[in-house]
Amino acid sequence: MGLGKTLALKGLTLIVVLISVLLFTVLIIGASGLSDRVLSSIMNEELRGIRQKLTTQIRDPEELNRAMDEIKQDLVKAYGLDKPWYARIPNMILRIVTLDLGSAREVQTFTGSNRISDIILERIPNTILLMTSALIINFVLGLVIGPRIALRHGTKMDKAISLYSAISYALPTWWLGMLMILFFSFKLRIFPFGGMYSVPPSEDTFMRFLDLLWHVMLPLITLVLALSGSWIYITRSIVLSVAQEDFVSVARVKGLPEDLVRRRYIVRVAASPILTNVVLGLAGSIAGAILTEIVFDWPGMGTLYYKAVMSVDESLILALTYIFTLIYVLARFILEILYVVLDPRVRL
Amino acid sequence: MSFIRESFSEFWASNISKIGILFLAILVAVSIYTVTTLPLDFGVRYWYNPVYWVDYPKSAQPEWINIFLSEKLMSHVELSISKASGIKPYNNRFIKYYNVSYNHECNQFPKFITLRISDLLFYRRDSPPIVRFYVTRPDGRTIELYTLAIETISSNATPPFRYFSMEPKRILLSGDIYLARSLVSFLYREFNISLGTSGVLEVGSEKIIFGSIGGDNTFTPLIGRYVFSAVLICSDVNDGIGMFNVVLGGYVYGLMGTDVLGRDLFQGLLFGFPIALIIGVGVSLLTTFIGAGLGIVSGYIGGRVDDFIQRFADTINNIPLLPLLILLSFIFGGRLWLIIFVLVFFNWPSLTIIVRSMVLSAKASQFIEAAVAIGASRLRIMVKHIFPQVAPFVFAQMIFFTPYAILAESALSFLGLGDVTMPTWGQILEYGFKNGAVFLGYWWWILPPGLFIVYSAVTFVFIALGMEPVVNPRLRRWK
Repeated sequence: MGLGKTLALKGLTLIVVLISVLLFTVLIIGASGLSDRVLSSIMNEELRGIRQKLTTQIRDPEELNRAMDEIKQDLVKAYGLDKPWYARIPNMILRIVTLDLGSAREVQTFTGSNRISDIILERIPNTILLMTSALIINFVLGLVIGPRIALRHGTKMDKAISLYSAISYALPTWWLGMLMILFFSFKLRIFPFGGMYSVPPSEDTFMRFLDLLWHVMLPLITLVLALSGSWIYITRSIVLSVAQEDFVSVARVKGLPEDLVRRRYIVRVAASPILTNVVLGLAGSIAGAILTEIVFDWPGMGTLYYKAVMSVDESLILALTYIFTLIYVLARFILEILYVVLDPRVRL
Repeated sequence: MSFIRESFSEFWASNISKIGILFLAILVAVSIYTVTTLPLDFGVRYWYNPVYWVDYPKSAQPEWINIFLSEKLMSHVELSISKASGIKPYNNRFIKYYNVSYNHECNQFPKFITLRISDLLFYRRDSPPIVRFYVTRPDGRTIELYTLAIETISSNATPPFRYFSMEPKRILLSGDIYLARSLVSFLYREFNISLGTSGVLEVGSEKIIFGSIGGDNTFTPLIGRYVFSAVLICSDVNDGIGMFNVVLGGYVYGLMGTDVLGRDLFQGLLFGFPIALIIGVGVSLLTTFIGAGLGIVSGYIGGRVDDFIQRFADTINNIPLLPLLILLSFIFGGRLWLIIFVLVFFNWPSLTIIVRSMVLSAKASQFIEAAVAIGASRLRIMVKHIFPQVAPFVFAQMIFFTPYAILAESALSFLGLGDVTMPTWGQILEYGFKNGAVFLGYWWWILPPGLFIVYSAVTFVFIALGMEPVVNPRLRRWK
């Protein structure tokens, strides 16, 4: 019973988060007049489509204009543009949730569609590919190196890695990416300047895969270099504080083998706070993803966000803000489940 | 008090804190220097005003790069004179000379040549002065560069008449058609070479002025002393030029080089220091103040207040910051105060949650019970008894929060959402990235701003690390 209830509560909190972000977003875009602009642009696009259809049926330009005016008035009503922005809140939320935000101004999918939902669906896998690879590598590095240096606390190795962590915390991932390009792509010319595949992409699946590996290398190295430091440091300090607990000393005094003490008394106990920090680190990695993708021109959500900001595409920015929040909330929920499974104490 | 002294000596014991404090001292010193030497509206007045930078070389490397090069690159040169070097009567008029000399030593031609005149002053409305510009080359040959004639004054204004005082008269010689004609006759007269005006423009006026002619009409830089002169022919002895400048566009400039608009990166980077400091310290101060305050209230008062604060904190704590920050900056336009406000708003909850749990354990201790028993007010207990319990931790968090704020602001600036009224390191990087500095190998544009970001962030990380032994390690929270 306890497990189900805990998860339900966590889920509920996250849903509240999602709804409040949506409400917050809608309030801001409504009050700033942004929603008027977004809706008008959707409406104008629809009007253009209708006009094209009608020109084949109605020849007389005056009659056409009259018909268009009528349709426009209907649409203004249908979109709620005749009402103040706060009356449209539920409708607007529904639009954002279903990504029914019309089409992007400049960005297109590879197949040429510029519907926002199509574009986002195409980009999400690319982001997940880059971010999960980086996340897994960093997690493993943290888990392997962190406990090791924690148990050799105070040695030169420990100090060197702590210093590395401090610097990597202060290192903007995106700037490191620029340096990597400057050095490896511009100076040494051994890695591509960016993108995901060479142009034109190879026909052969295996060659395509190799090409992808070649392209993903530099962003991946950047993400690992910039973020592994804090991962290692987190695990180190958690393990360190667990290792100083009384029950660990008791286990040692009992004469249990050191290996067993480490595995069962230290690492097992440290696992759940480490996971908590994974959860907390997630926000940072999403932010890092946006900027790293931009630097490496990785065709993911981050680059899309940047292009949306650059081309002042309100609808796309809105959709992406929602999607990023959604991904974040979902990822957190998955981690919460893991957390509950790992640490029985969390169950209510 | 002894507690503070003890903590400090413990803090000072580690090398990392000493380095941190040294870094901080430099950071503060540079910021103070910047604020006192550059105008506060530097961003609007100069940095984002392309006109101000026209006579600077574009995308020039830093000057010290020459140390590492066997073939030296030409430095940017700006010559100026404000007093006439000589005066002599001429018919019933006067001639005033303004001479500046320059020793050309490197094996390159200038990128461009600009003449500038400011504050031209004259007294006779019916006969305004004429300014002729010449250059005398190391080989003794003289070239006429330009003639500037001033119209007679027809209005009722009273003398003296002042020209080019608000904005100097700027003459870009490169590509100038009159100069080209003058060079055509110069080449024919001196070297018996006939090259049309289009031919001269094709070769480039700088190359002819600064070149000696080889066998097959190729120009190689002529080394030696050049004298540029502005000759003022005037009717009143008091007529004069306020300032005469000659700008020879170089390939290297200053300590940090220039960007694609010719902006002196050194000045822009310098201005980034106080801004980074303001953002870092401002955000961390406000965040810790609100976070710790609400944490103490939440933990000590308990009940509904506690529930409300905790639920609220929980919700905000779960929101991914960057997407919302982007949206907000996009809608309201990047403003420094807005960025600070948003960073504070989304970051106080994590501190509140931890401080609350610390307060809960402090609340149970006997000295609090004693304080309650003697009738101390709740406010007094919170300020006098609870706060000192959490103070070291809160202080450490404040330090640790500073680099976060600096990094967040630079990330936003890099997305093009920074405050457009002042240059920041993130914005310099953004402009560089947008203009392909990474792909063109303009390392001097990319390397220093990032290094400064890392420097200012690492300063506070080091101080925070130095404080580790002071603060109870079990209560730390890691980001």
